Amino acid sequence: METKIGVFLCNCGEAIKNIDFDAAVKEIAKFPGVTCVNLSSDLCLEEGKKKMISCIREENLERVVVAACSPEFHEHAFGEVLEKAGLNGRLLSMANIREQCSWAHDGDVTGKAVELVKMAVNRVRLLQPMEMKELPVNNEVLVVGGGFSAINTALQLSRVGLRTTLLEKEAALGTGTEELESLCGFDTSSMVSAVEADKNIKVLTSARVMEVDGKIGDFSVRIRQEGGEILRKYGAIVLATGHQTELALDCELKLGLSIVSQEEFCRMLGNPSLETEPKTIGFIFDFCDENSRFPTLATLNNALAAKRRWGSEVYVFYKSVKVDSEGAEILYQEARDCGVVFLKSEVPPRIDVDNGQVKIKAKDVFLGEDIILVCDVLVAEELHLPTEETANLSSLLNIRRDSRGFCQEENVHLYPVASEKKGIFFVGGCRGDLDLGRVLTDISSVVMNVYELLSSGKILVEAEKVEADPQKCVACLTCIRVCPHGAIQLVRINGGKEVAGISDLACYACGICAAICPAKAINFQSYRDEEILAQIEAI
Amino acid sequence: MENKNVLVVGSGISGIASALELANAGVSVYLLDKEAVVGGRSASFCCKATDICSRCSACVVLGKVKEAVTHPRIKLLTNSTMKKLSGELGNFRVEIEQQPRYVDEERCIACGLCTEVCPVDPKAIYPPFAEATPFSYILDKGRCLRFKGERCDLCRTSCPTKAIEFDLKPKEQELRVDAIIVATGFDVFDAREKGSLGYGRYTNVLTGLDLEHVFTRDGYLRLPTNGREPQNIAFIQCVGSRDKDHEYCSQVCCKYAMKLAGLIKYQNPDARVTIFYIDLQTAGKGFAQFYEEYKESIRFVRGVPVEILQTVSGELEVRFEDISQGKVCRDTFDLVVLSVGISPGKNTWDLARILGINLADNGFFDKKDSLSCNETNVDGIFLAGTCQGPKDIPDSIAHGIAAASKTMRVLAESASQRRGH
Repeated sequence: METKIGVFLCNCGEAIKNIDFDAAVKEIAKFPGVTCVNLSSDLCLEEGKKKMISCIREENLERVVVAACSPEFHEHAFGEVLEKAGLNGRLLSMANIREQCSWAHDGDVTGKAVELVKMAVNRVRLLQPMEMKELPVNNEVLVVGGGFSAINTALQLSRVGLRTTLLEKEAALGTGTEELESLCGFDTSSMVSAVEADKNIKVLTSARVMEVDGKIGDFSVRIRQEGGEILRKYGAIVLATGHQTELALDCELKLGLSIVSQEEFCRMLGNPSLETEPKTIGFIFDFCDENSRFPTLATLNNALAAKRRWGSEVYVFYKSVKVDSEGAEILYQEARDCGVVFLKSEVPPRIDVDNGQVKIKAKDVFLGEDIILVCDVLVAEELHLPTEETANLSSLLNIRRDSRGFCQEENVHLYPVASEKKGIFFVGGCRGDLDLGRVLTDISSVVMNVYELLSSGKILVEAEKVEADPQKCVACLTCIRVCPHGAIQLVRINGGKEVAGISDLACYACGICAAICPAKAINFQSYRDEEILAQIEAI
Repeated sequence: MENKNVLVVGSGISGIASALELANAGVSVYLLDKEAVVGGRSASFCCKATDICSRCSACVVLGKVKEAVTHPRIKLLTNSTMKKLSGELGNFRVEIEQQPRYVDEERCIACGLCTEVCPVDPKAIYPPFAEATPFSYILDKGRCLRFKGERCDLCRTSCPTKAIEFDLKPKEQELRVDAIIVATGFDVFDAREKGSLGYGRYTNVLTGLDLEHVFTRDGYLRLPTNGREPQNIAFIQCVGSRDKDHEYCSQVCCKYAMKLAGLIKYQNPDARVTIFYIDLQTAGKGFAQFYEEYKESIRFVRGVPVEILQTVSGELEVRFEDISQGKVCRDTFDLVVLSVGISPGKNTWDLARILGINLADNGFFDKKDSLSCNETNVDGIFLAGTCQGPKDIPDSIAHGIAAASKTMRVLAESASQRRGH
């Protein structure tokens, strides 16, 4: 028996004047399968929807075509109407006879409107219902890293009731946070003891991730510890592997008493029994690495502290000060008010070491002249780089990085902390250089994302929205290679054949696999080849 | 999280991010906005893509707006303002006043008949911007004859669905909510305050926001005076940022100015574009390559112009100090774009008084302490987005989600405490 299709036309309160609706209704009624054609003037209003529901029920319609305004406005609402009338909401196809037809042309467009409806009728005949299904997820979370971001993510996850494992490559948590501590004024040791007291948090130190398998809700992670290897299951993975710094120095210059890193300088500031307090200090930033805001913040803080602690003369050489973080402009003002001298230069200064003293030569843009500064201590420029662990993990997890090697290649359609694979998130320094405010925001937002995914222990997804036909699939692995979301794996079906299996949980329905499959085995629900071809045939 | 209600004040991108996260976690959300359409400022920003995406995130906003509007657990309250607040975390009582729209958004089918018959020029009833949600026509009380005491009834009688009604009074209602998220956004710095730059006096001086709207509306740039394609364009950075009254960097202007400049260069490769700046803020994701790409083709001048004058021939003469040459220079341009910064919202003071939350020195809402990002001095009231300080779209989204996260946590904790009693 032929599928019963109902067509609902709307003349938009009789505002569509260049379509002859009576003629259109007659034409449309002739299409195969169309058992009823309704003309209304208020389809999107409550009364229109009510009429639609009763018509679908009375006529026992199986598929519905709505010819009205752009699907942008009301497609969602018409889907709900179908559900209320007892039909699957996906068995609807819309023809845009207002924006793309009536309003787009002058003069009579009845013919085009009829064609648009014919296309929709041809498509709707082939549409298949889409069911929702619930899939179970493991609600334990793996946080990789042992710094500020990692510790706080674990603590916050625990507070919303999610069990967490902290995996740190060092022997203890909270190593290497001295510089951040002195800049931001938090206390690592109290955070570490909070983690130790938390029953929801398990800490694995001197541990490394060796292999990750599976997908959101069900990752199996092979972890190597001193005693051997263990296999654990997690629902989500959060990377908090931080950043590292490298000094930007000419090869003949060496770190030492007179040339130090920001971190070493922090240590000098914190040392009450320093032998000689430096009288003249030079800072350099923003020449070799123009894309980081962290060196600005470190320099401003350290310059101010040196001025206040020792009353030294402080000179800062830089190209542009990066003040696009909270409170940075105030800090910059404060440093200038305190007497820190800022010297802008377009090219990197030349540095020479002579008798334990450092000579900095730069061309100041304001004076237009060369300046030579002889100082006791030079705090060298630092490059802000991703850690090796970030690089290792991202290749293990097969996730892309941005041009500088940090996590999350900028994809505007993803949330800032999300990766292209569902269930894998980034937080803090590993996704770029962030100031404290941004890191805190990251932590909370990753906690929300994870909570939403895992807290109920199950996820509601559309079932089989993208499917590989096991008859046609030749296991050529093309789809597995191109899927950016890691949603496709080989699965063994009855009879022992291996075919591509697409996980409903991990799939974003981007359609790349369906487009590239050489055997045309992959089908994208509601956009299957035969549905598109049927529409083309109508024209 | 069923049976919990949260009020989100402001339906810009951060408010929407908060509302969506909470609603997806099972909380019922009231999404309040003083405007007639949802989406706030960023919904009207233009796509800045050339033949590749420039990652401005403007397109993300519209998708999120649609998701929020159709979400079953989010109730929209447009045209509404908050009048009074009492109670505490877990039991706030909020008085809301909703101004009439005069066009019923449930009944308006956007057919356009009312605009056709409206006798006023410019029309007193018109469609919202193209991507607005809800897409329901807007009646401008200031222009409508009916509100000037005349008896015009043309739009009301022509409306096929009887969506237009004039004799409506503001509606008041009381909401009971467990927590409140403030996401009231920002106001663009009013460039008229810098009189010497000539905004408002010279037609060819635009702000960055004007330029966004030109590209959203037309898709290309023409001189407002004679409709010709501008050949020589200047961007002036830090207008309303990093000065005595605004001791902060607005964080978005270098990015949008450079991306808009890139778009102008793409559409007209012969156009000369100059950017006057103090310090270039090239930090942040994906921006490094962008800067590298345009470093050669765009002229960057260190120094902020002090004065713009119009010459007899209608060109704009910009007087600036070229720091690298150490002298005062003059240069003429067809079009000058002022990269206006982010200022605290005008209603920030009133709202701070109603809610009892503190303001920071820079005029934005203040955080509780330096280790919090959303908390205020009042338990149960959280901040999201640019009402707390300047942010770009991705940062606003992240901050909105973070506010939702904090809200979820206090709701969960207060629920478990009550069970404990």
